[in-house]
Amino acid sequence: MPTGDSWGLLACLCTVLWHLPAVPALNRTGDPGPGPSIQKTYDLTRYLEHQLRSLAGTYLNYLGPPFNEPDFNPPRLGADTLPRATVDLDVWRSLNDKLRLTQNYEAYSHLLCYLRGLNRQAATAELRRSLAHFCTSLQGLLGSIAGVMAALGYPLPQPLPGTEPTWAPGPAHSDFLQKMDDFWLLKELQTWLWRSAKDFNRLKKKIQPPAAAVTLRLEAHGF
Amino acid sequence: MDIYFCLRQPLEMVDSKRMKTSSNFQWLLSSFILLCLMNQVNSQKKGAPHDLKCITNNLKVWDCSWKAPSGRDTLYEVCIENRFNSCYRSEKTNTKIPALLPGDHEISINPIHNHSSISKFILNEENISLIPDTPEILNLTADFSTSALHIKWNDKGSAFPHHSNVTWQIEILRKKKMEIVTLMTHNTTLNGKDTLHHWSWTSDMPLECVTHYVRMRCYIDDLHFSGHKEWSDWSPVKNISWSPDYQPKVFPEDKVVLVGSDVTVCCVIQEKVILAQFGKEKCSLIHLDGENVAIKIYNISVSPTSGTNVVFTTDTNLVGTVIFAGYPPDIPQKLNCETRDLKEIICTWNPGRPTGLLGPHNTSYTLFESFSGKNVTFKRAEDPADISYQLFFQMIPNWEIYNFTLNARNPLGQSESTILVNITKRAVYPHTPTSFKVKDTNSTAVSLSWYLQGNFAKMHLLCQVEITKSNSVQELRNVTVKGVEDSSYFVVVGKLSPYTNYTFRIRCSTETFWKWSSWTIEKQHLTTEAIPSKGPDTWREWSSDGKNLIIYWKPLPINEANGRILSYNVSCSSDEETQSLSEIPDRQHKAEIQLDKNDYIISVVAKNSVGSSPPSKIASMEIPNEDDLKIEQAVGMGNGIFLSWNYDPNMTCDYVIKWCNSSRPGPCLMDWKKVPSNSTEAVIESDQFRPGVRYNFFLYGCRNQGYQLLRSIMGYIEELAPIVAPNFTVEDTSADSILVKWEDIPVEELRGFLRGYLFYFGKGERGTSKMRGLGPETGHSDIKVKNITDISQKTLKIADLQGKTSYRLVLRAYTDGGIGPEKSMYVVTKENSVGLIIAILIPVAVAVIVGVVTSILCYRKREWIKETFYPDIPNPENCKALQFQKSVCEGNSALTLEMNPCTPNNVEVLETRTVVPKIEDTEIVSPVAEHPEDSSEAEPENHVVVSYCPPIIEEEIPNPVADEAGGTSQVIYIDVQSMYQPQAKPEEQENDPVGGSGYKPQMHLPVSSPVEDGTAEDDLDDTAGYRPQANVSTWHLVSPDSPRSTDSNSEVVSFGSPCSINSRQFLLPPKDEDSPKSTGGGWSFTNFFQNKPND
Repeated sequence: MPTGDSWGLLACLCTVLWHLPAVPALNRTGDPGPGPSIQKTYDLTRYLEHQLRSLAGTYLNYLGPPFNEPDFNPPRLGADTLPRATVDLDVWRSLNDKLRLTQNYEAYSHLLCYLRGLNRQAATAELRRSLAHFCTSLQGLLGSIAGVMAALGYPLPQPLPGTEPTWAPGPAHSDFLQKMDDFWLLKELQTWLWRSAKDFNRLKKKIQPPAAAVTLRLEAHGF
Repeated sequence: MDIYFCLRQPLEMVDSKRMKTSSNFQWLLSSFILLCLMNQVNSQKKGAPHDLKCITNNLKVWDCSWKAPSGRDTLYEVCIENRFNSCYRSEKTNTKIPALLPGDHEISINPIHNHSSISKFILNEENISLIPDTPEILNLTADFSTSALHIKWNDKGSAFPHHSNVTWQIEILRKKKMEIVTLMTHNTTLNGKDTLHHWSWTSDMPLECVTHYVRMRCYIDDLHFSGHKEWSDWSPVKNISWSPDYQPKVFPEDKVVLVGSDVTVCCVIQEKVILAQFGKEKCSLIHLDGENVAIKIYNISVSPTSGTNVVFTTDTNLVGTVIFAGYPPDIPQKLNCETRDLKEIICTWNPGRPTGLLGPHNTSYTLFESFSGKNVTFKRAEDPADISYQLFFQMIPNWEIYNFTLNARNPLGQSESTILVNITKRAVYPHTPTSFKVKDTNSTAVSLSWYLQGNFAKMHLLCQVEITKSNSVQELRNVTVKGVEDSSYFVVVGKLSPYTNYTFRIRCSTETFWKWSSWTIEKQHLTTEAIPSKGPDTWREWSSDGKNLIIYWKPLPINEANGRILSYNVSCSSDEETQSLSEIPDRQHKAEIQLDKNDYIISVVAKNSVGSSPPSKIASMEIPNEDDLKIEQAVGMGNGIFLSWNYDPNMTCDYVIKWCNSSRPGPCLMDWKKVPSNSTEAVIESDQFRPGVRYNFFLYGCRNQGYQLLRSIMGYIEELAPIVAPNFTVEDTSADSILVKWEDIPVEELRGFLRGYLFYFGKGERGTSKMRGLGPETGHSDIKVKNITDISQKTLKIADLQGKTSYRLVLRAYTDGGIGPEKSMYVVTKENSVGLIIAILIPVAVAVIVGVVTSILCYRKREWIKETFYPDIPNPENCKALQFQKSVCEGNSALTLEMNPCTPNNVEVLETRTVVPKIEDTEIVSPVAEHPEDSSEAEPENHVVVSYCPPIIEEEIPNPVADEAGGTSQVIYIDVQSMYQPQAKPEEQENDPVGGSGYKPQMHLPVSSPVEDGTAEDDLDDTAGYRPQANVSTWHLVSPDSPRSTDSNSEVVSFGSPCSINSRQFLLPPKDEDSPKSTGGGWSFTNFFQNKPND
């Protein structure tokens, strides 16, 4: 993608973020349907993908070789608590909207928590700034998903007491395993963003009402 | 019996040379003798005990053994002869006996059932071996985190009777193959008690990776024992191993090491490791037990921020660890502790060399105060980039001296720095004062107030006020105020000028100065007005009609006005009346009052918003001068003029010098200056003075309230050269003199005091080139100069001139500033008639006299002249000899004429003008005439006709140039060459023009442009550049445009390069137009390129 296009996309998505509070699905004041908020959520996932690409480059360089080598593909050790994005295609297809959104919401809740822990541990100021910025964006995505769920009338998943992921770099967790966890966290984040983009695209197509239907609904509200 | 026994050779010899050297030689000798004797004894007595050997392990008991014939169970009685028959029975061939005193002791061993074979031995301590008991490792533990082994054992010192030095050897082995890693020595002392010893060793390889084994032995160096000392046996081996879980692991984990050290990293794994990587580098593997491997990293360099990764890769797995290489903390530098508010001490420092360790391994700092025992710990800032190394320590009340120690610590070490500080005396650096305000007190004083945070209650503050007056003059004033706690302070700053803009700022320190605080922000303040301190400087002049008195005054300078002057009051008072003018606005600085000639005192008062100035008084009376005043001259110094006068005790008030521009119309007043009555000189300076302008200065003296004109001076600040020349006219002209008269130059154009004129005169006529050189500067020898220094002279008569001659006259004026421009005039002197007459008469008279004298001479010598110049001629008819001569001459003439009956011919040559005059004879035929170039330039009408007799040959040369130019020319020439140069060939003639028109060896090749008939030729003719050595004209015979050029194109290649000088195609131009080769060579090159784009 040319640089100019990237900036254009960036600017566009920043605007989207800015207008997040105005997402009707969040406000629930009017009822234009969940379509626009799904579209915005989809856009936000794409923006986060872009942002993560930049963050991951910086962070993997900070972790040092071999983590920043392009063909580095370690086995997934010690990162079992991270929510896995990979799913069987048939299983994914068979997911209903509620389950789909719930899984997204839960995954990002966990990932955000881990990411905040990452931020606390980062040694350089620049890295902390980048991570903090990304955390803010991810928080926005989480809010957006919550908005879509609310618009569709699904309840938010309640976190079970005691299962809240915590960031506890104890002595049992060596620096190397910590780095592996960081690596997998970034990797899972990326996979989740891909998956979410697909999820929301699917949802968008499914929910998108025909123009006539919209008109009818508006008329009904008018009277 | 005299029998000696052999001592047993020790099984193992240790590396102690000290022991060997003393005893080995004796032992060898003894052994040798003993062996000899044994043989003897054995031969005499078979079956008797022999080979008695004794050892000890505690110096208290000797354990002796001997050899006896086998196969018999015998009871032995061992007796020590010197000890009152102390005997010991033993069923074996050994027994323990108490240690014997030094010296020889006879030992008899008696097999009880065989009395015939009693053996006797001489036993000495020197023959006893001291072999300590085998030590035992009581405890072997490992600290895996530090890779340290801790060994614990008992020295069993209670068994020894006295103090001895013990050397312990501890051997570390590794791997199942028991490869020796190291052998260490440890020295202790036996002190008669059982003592536990500890010893630690740190492994370079993590202990988790491979089993480590330890064993030890000892050597007792008892100074009292004279026998042979040997190492004990090795203790039983103990080992340390790590029980791995099923997960592969890499050791050491998260280790911090010093930069430059060597590190071994190992991997405990069940799979085969295929690759080990340290950072980006691949490392060679060291194989340990099983599949475990290790790598060794030498001279490790500083790690990046997150440490250096060490990774072991198997086919299915990847394990690793992180190594942090850095430095121990540097000694904290520039440790400085000071307080800003006397409540809290701030200690700052520079960490020095970076450790290269971040995060949890970063350096931690602790500040410890030794008198109070308090300490504070450095908390790292949230943002590591914005780290400032400082710690805050709460001051202890009434405590002045603090001894701080700053300790820096990281996993690699620690360092510290100390400072002893008397906080109240040498360490107070106050905060910047805030709330700085300026308030008026009066017109010359303001009060300053500010707030200073801090507990200064027990000291004085020294503050510095910077006062800047009108942004230029700066003044610093120190003020001392009594300190209070967190309070505002006030000071009054006096000695200021009224109505003046000041800028104030302030900074503070304590009285025991250490550091100034920063300056406060600047505050501008205008002090209030005060009454004007003086009256204005006043002068008066009578108007030109003498009826009005004009009163002048100068505006007050700002430091005397003390405010904004609003108006002036003028009053004139005499004994009889008083006139006054009030509220004259500020911008007006003169007033006119109609007064009679009485004496008046004029008073001027300036007023501002606060009040009026003291009146400034001046008398109207002018005291007449008794003498006529001479006008003096003075020249200034560039920027002013210096005036001086004699002291006059009559002058009681003051002197006034007024001046004006003399060239300006109107009343003479430009400015004035007052000087005290005791002065005798003054320098008048003014911005209005200009160089080259004449000023009049008038010095007045004040006496009895009246002014008297004392001197009148005319002067220049700086003289310049006159700007114009004087106008002059010729009053009278005679044959030898000219009378010149000139006018004065106006003062404005003179620009200095006139010092004279320069008058130049010399011969010269208007408009001739000579005139231009006839200037005063040219130094022409015939120019005369007259310097007229008498400036009153206005005429000049120039005498001794030539009559009827034009003279140039130049007049210039000069001042001390230079010579002005010139003005010139031409004058012709009148004719001198007498001279003319004389000039005619004298030559006529001379001619007449010469004629008369010649006539007389010729008449007298007429016979001689006739003989000389006109002798008588004899008649040829009377001479026969001359007749023959005559016929010969006639015959020749007749022959010649007969041979060439002369028929006049016309030779008509068309030739250029330049060439034609050279043709003096028809034999010279210029080759230029044949050159086509020249032919083209020739004018057809311009021809010379030479008459001659020889027969003619007519040849028509086709001239393409002439043809194309539209004209024809026919050259008809006499074939002279055929007569004088019969070998010359026509082609050589054609080549001649090349040489005739200068060297043109190369030909211009019209490559780039399509050549047309006319232009191509012009180009070639004009070109003086590179040309092939060929007849230029022939190249033009065929142009590329001609049909033949395309026809012969195919032949071009075979001809080679047309531009080659060696090419014969070029050198031999075609004489015959039918020759295809010549034609092709002539144009092919151009054509080649011409056709190229069409290909």
